Amino acid sequence: MMKILVIEDEQALYESILTYFTGEGNVCEHAPDFNSAIQKIELYHYDCILLDLGLPDGEGLELLSRLKKLNKKDGVLIISARHSLDDRLAGLDLGADDYLVKPFHLSELKARVSAIVRRKNFDGDNVIRFNEINVDVFAMTITVNNKPLSLTKKEFDLLVYFLSNKNKVVTKNAMAEHLWGDEMDLSDDFDFIYTHVKNLKKKLAEATCKDYIKSVYGIGYKFTAI
Amino acid sequence: MKLSSRYNQVNIFTSLIILVITGFIYYLFIHLILTNKLDKDLAVEEEEIRQYTHTYQKLPLPASYIDQQLSFTQAPDSLAGFREFSYVGYLNPKDNEEEPGRRLVTTVNLKGKTILITITKSRVESEDLVRVIFLITLAVTLILLISLFVINRFLLNRLWQPFYNILKKMKSFEVSKMETITAEPTKIDEFIELNSSVNAMASRVRQDYKELKTFTDNASHEMMTPLAVINSKLDSLLQTEAFTAQQGAILEDIYQATGKLSRLHQSLLLLAKIENNLIADTQDVDFKLLVELKLRQFQELFEQGGLSLELDLENKTVHMSRYLADISLNNLFSNAVRHNIKGGKIVIKLSEAALVISNSGKGFELRDHLFDRFSKSSESEGMGLGLAITKQICNLYGYEISYDHDEMHTFSILF
Repeated sequence: MMKILVIEDEQALYESILTYFTGEGNVCEHAPDFNSAIQKIELYHYDCILLDLGLPDGEGLELLSRLKKLNKKDGVLIISARHSLDDRLAGLDLGADDYLVKPFHLSELKARVSAIVRRKNFDGDNVIRFNEINVDVFAMTITVNNKPLSLTKKEFDLLVYFLSNKNKVVTKNAMAEHLWGDEMDLSDDFDFIYTHVKNLKKKLAEATCKDYIKSVYGIGYKFTAI
Repeated sequence: MKLSSRYNQVNIFTSLIILVITGFIYYLFIHLILTNKLDKDLAVEEEEIRQYTHTYQKLPLPASYIDQQLSFTQAPDSLAGFREFSYVGYLNPKDNEEEPGRRLVTTVNLKGKTILITITKSRVESEDLVRVIFLITLAVTLILLISLFVINRFLLNRLWQPFYNILKKMKSFEVSKMETITAEPTKIDEFIELNSSVNAMASRVRQDYKELKTFTDNASHEMMTPLAVINSKLDSLLQTEAFTAQQGAILEDIYQATGKLSRLHQSLLLLAKIENNLIADTQDVDFKLLVELKLRQFQELFEQGGLSLELDLENKTVHMSRYLADISLNNLFSNAVRHNIKGGKIVIKLSEAALVISNSGKGFELRDHLFDRFSKSSESEGMGLGLAITKQICNLYGYEISYDHDEMHTFSILF
């Protein structure tokens, strides 16, 4: 369960984000401009704030400095259309936890937000539990039915990605970008993702794990409990 | 050739010619005047002899003075009325040596006989005079030339100093640093004007640069936001239930087109940024480390294509933007993977002088336009911008990128 504030002025975009994040007991709020965002930030605590840098009535970076002055420990993920190194560094310097460039996949956003929330959650344990699967993200260990399972780095990342996007259809495209970075100029043929998913499924099955990963319409995969 | 030395050359050359011509004319006139004077003296002497002969009906004594000789000889009548001036060399009895002289040969009628009179005057004095004048002229010429040379060399150099200073500042001018070119103190109008023009230009360039930067930022923002909306809506659409396989295929096509569009847009923005030198994080990059990192990143892709790797990596540090170094390696590596054949190989060599990436593959026909934008072979899935970007990055740092192929396609970057 996460409490999230989306600061974004583009209606179509924040609606999608809100819909995607709602569920699993997550609480999502929205602020369309600088002032309403400030009000909400001052009043409440959020696990993660999604901040669009290009707000109509003020620079998003200004909000970051305010947040710092208020001594708030909320996690911040910057969403920006600006693919500029300076902005990225300025944002991270001001205490943002991550920086995501538009356009992005909602699954990528969710994975990053989950990672931030896990990192911020110092008191609690950092184990993702899903039925018989336990993933310790920091120790990078996995147990299935309390027996350790060994995965490659990419397979591990893939599993964490799936777990962050439970019950969602995740495209091969998004998975490739998550695992290899979006600047790799990969070919449009993402068939090589198939190999990785197949290997992951095989290893999970060998560890007597149920088959949660379903292929969907040939576009992507869905990690679901059914 | 420097302006001052060219000016010097012309200046000294013309001065020399004019001085030589003047000297020559000078010499000619003085010579003429002196000869004229000698001739007059000789004519006076002749007149005296004529009067003497006429009065006394006999010849005067053929006397020799210090610088004058007189002699008489009998001549045939046919020579009557002969009169001629000439230059001669004669023996001066006083010093007993050959001297230059001026001679007048004329005739006088004495008691019906024609007598040839030869009067010779020494030219030594006038020659000496000419020589002194010549030497003085020569000395003046030399002094003039030397002083011209010195003036040109030192004064001109000092005069041009502000110009060179401005030039130096223009060379080191970097638009991204937003610095102003400080005015060089000078009293010369032309340089003051140059100063102000350069400063005006610099501020105009800075202004343009700022506008361009704002424009790229805005263009990026304005285009990325709708793309982000499309992408997020597609992701949302995908979560709604029940698609047929046919609808799934359509969705996938839309995904790919959107992905392509955003990558294309990012690539074009990146190209504009590189062209306008808007990327400033230049630093020392351990290129070997970067190549190894990239190899790890591409490992799955190599395995996927069954590609074998041959590596020969030496240590190399380059001074460039890490971000751009990363992008150019991305482009070259994905190029080597994309245009490879199943089970082919990739050879990567890194040395102090160059990075050479070769890959096996099919021959393709675009060799001339390989680095042009949007040039790609028909079976390529890329956008045809990767190599254009890589070339642009190489241009920015003065590296030379080239393509060659025999049985392997080879890209080399010479640092």
